Amino acid sequence: MTETVVQTDTRQSETKARIAELKYALYLMRQNPLVLTGLVLVIFFVVLAAVATLVVSPDEAFKLEFGQSYCWSSSIFSWTQLEATCPPGTNFILGTDGFGRDLFNMIILSIPLDLEIAFVIVAIATVFGVALGAVAAWVGGKFDEAILRITDIFFAFPGLVLALVFAALFGRTIQTLTIAVLLVWWPTYVRLTRGQVLVEKERTYVEALKSIGVNPARIVLFHIIPNSIYPIVVQMTLDIGGVILTFSALMFLGFSPSPALPELGNLASDGIGHVFTAPWLIVFPGLTILIIALAFNLVGDGLRDILDPRLRR
Amino acid sequence: MVAGDTVKIYEYVIRRLALMIFVLFGVSAIVFYLARGFPSAFAPWAQYITFRMKPSQIQAIIVAHGFDQPLYIQYWYWLQDVFHGDWGFSNWANGLPTFEVFASRFPFTVELTVVAVIMTVVIGIPLGILSALKNNTAADHVSRIIALTGYSTPAYWFAYILQLVFFYYFYVWGLPNLPSSGAISQGLASAVPTVTGMPLVDGILAGNLTYTADAFAHVILPAFNLSFISLGYLARIVRASMLEVLRQDYIIMARSKGLSERVVIYRHALRNAMIPAMTLTGLFFAGLLGGAIITETVFSWPGVGYVSLRAVFQGDSNFLLLYSLVTALIIVSSNLVVDVMYVFLDPRIKY
Repeated sequence: MTETVVQTDTRQSETKARIAELKYALYLMRQNPLVLTGLVLVIFFVVLAAVATLVVSPDEAFKLEFGQSYCWSSSIFSWTQLEATCPPGTNFILGTDGFGRDLFNMIILSIPLDLEIAFVIVAIATVFGVALGAVAAWVGGKFDEAILRITDIFFAFPGLVLALVFAALFGRTIQTLTIAVLLVWWPTYVRLTRGQVLVEKERTYVEALKSIGVNPARIVLFHIIPNSIYPIVVQMTLDIGGVILTFSALMFLGFSPSPALPELGNLASDGIGHVFTAPWLIVFPGLTILIIALAFNLVGDGLRDILDPRLRR
Repeated sequence: MVAGDTVKIYEYVIRRLALMIFVLFGVSAIVFYLARGFPSAFAPWAQYITFRMKPSQIQAIIVAHGFDQPLYIQYWYWLQDVFHGDWGFSNWANGLPTFEVFASRFPFTVELTVVAVIMTVVIGIPLGILSALKNNTAADHVSRIIALTGYSTPAYWFAYILQLVFFYYFYVWGLPNLPSSGAISQGLASAVPTVTGMPLVDGILAGNLTYTADAFAHVILPAFNLSFISLGYLARIVRASMLEVLRQDYIIMARSKGLSERVVIYRHALRNAMIPAMTLTGLFFAGLLGGAIITETVFSWPGVGYVSLRAVFQGDSNFLLLYSLVTALIIVSSNLVVDVMYVFLDPRIKY
């Protein structure tokens, strides 16, 4: 009887401490205008992504003759080069893209895809990397050594090359490109988690849990990983921006499944041959990528400062 | 460092070298598997056949070169060739020897990398120091924004923005504009003898001022593009380590001795705070030597990164194998150099 009371007491005080911690973190976040700006932007883009098809009707946006009819009088108009592109102005805030579609609408329509891909890639890389890293650190020995060496190999690859070769081999579909980026991304999480778990493993509470006979899987899953989650969360936030950059770069370099696909890098690649005649084709989609990545990076960078107790003072 | 430590470092380096060989085998095996293990555009016999050949002739060539063998045997053949210095022929370069193609392109990448790293250091380190000294002020926020914008910027986009502004609009406005592509102007292409392969160095060696100036003008934009996207990391690292160092007891001690703030910062704090920055700079250098595919492509910079993208599109597996092996070698060995340097720079670290 008394034992259970004590247990619930500690549980409650633990929860209270966690909430206090969270409140303090939120307070620190409010203190930092940059993080707050980043957070507002992130929320804005996520909400925009969720309602994008309501804001802009895809059926309407994909109609080609719609844009062309406005561009007959445009000075830039010529059948040899950009058939349907008209510059930013009163009819189209950001101009029209190479197909004569309103660029502003296309950018809004492409945000959901970019965010979704970034979330999917980061989520898979995290789950896979955390699982592998935690097991490697917990088991140790030969298994750990093997995992480490495999990540070594992947870290030694020059930048995009692995992703490029993979994408070139297995065709230009969103799935292939996602896997291509994942191939480059997972080892970071393995290393990060492994390092965290190695430190946590030596703590006394793990010793205590072991001595009362708790299942090792349970210790790792419910005690060690939650205790080492902060750096992983920071890494995830920072990686969303990085993944969007990498993925759109693959699209830009010519691995896009279709030139008409609304994806920010793909939209930007429309403008490759026309940088000096129709700069808006490349400027606005790229700027959107920059703002989205910056928003996530601002939050991630702020989180790192907030979650690192040494930097709080 | 004492004698015992030296032996330990020696052992450590030997162990790391052994691991390095393992990693290189791993990299080559993965690229080999991807490039040769699937029926694809990377078909290695493409360079030996012509349109006029009959299917039976093509089959004979495939058999003669061992391309019908199981993959691991092909890999074994390839390894034997490589150990004899034979990297095959590059079908991107119309059948020139792959090694020759790589060797002629690599100096361009080296030149771009050196200039980019210098720019990164010159801008990034002061930015980080400023950010740390003016912690949580407007200056800190501005430098944080510059840093974060740097690594949130799509490299290809920024490259085009640079071309648009410094090449096109400067031209439109009648200002002296910077060239937007290539490593040297067409008219000057063979004005100086090729010694190192790097236009900038060759120009200086030949004492040709016009050539050197032209080469320099060409390298500015791509190098700035590279440094802009990487200086943020450097600035953030410098800031973090500077803040860390400024909290140490010996800094408080130096201050309480009555040393001027200048001396405290530049003589005491900066030296220790520079260790992580040096590491990162070394890693940047290695990473960029691997060829900045995007930047080199947009600026048509004739380095290995540019060629590697062409090689991917043209299924030039020989070039990709050589390229990924050399760059992996650079990355792994620079990691080793950085780790060993740490021991010399920071006596607290032991192996």
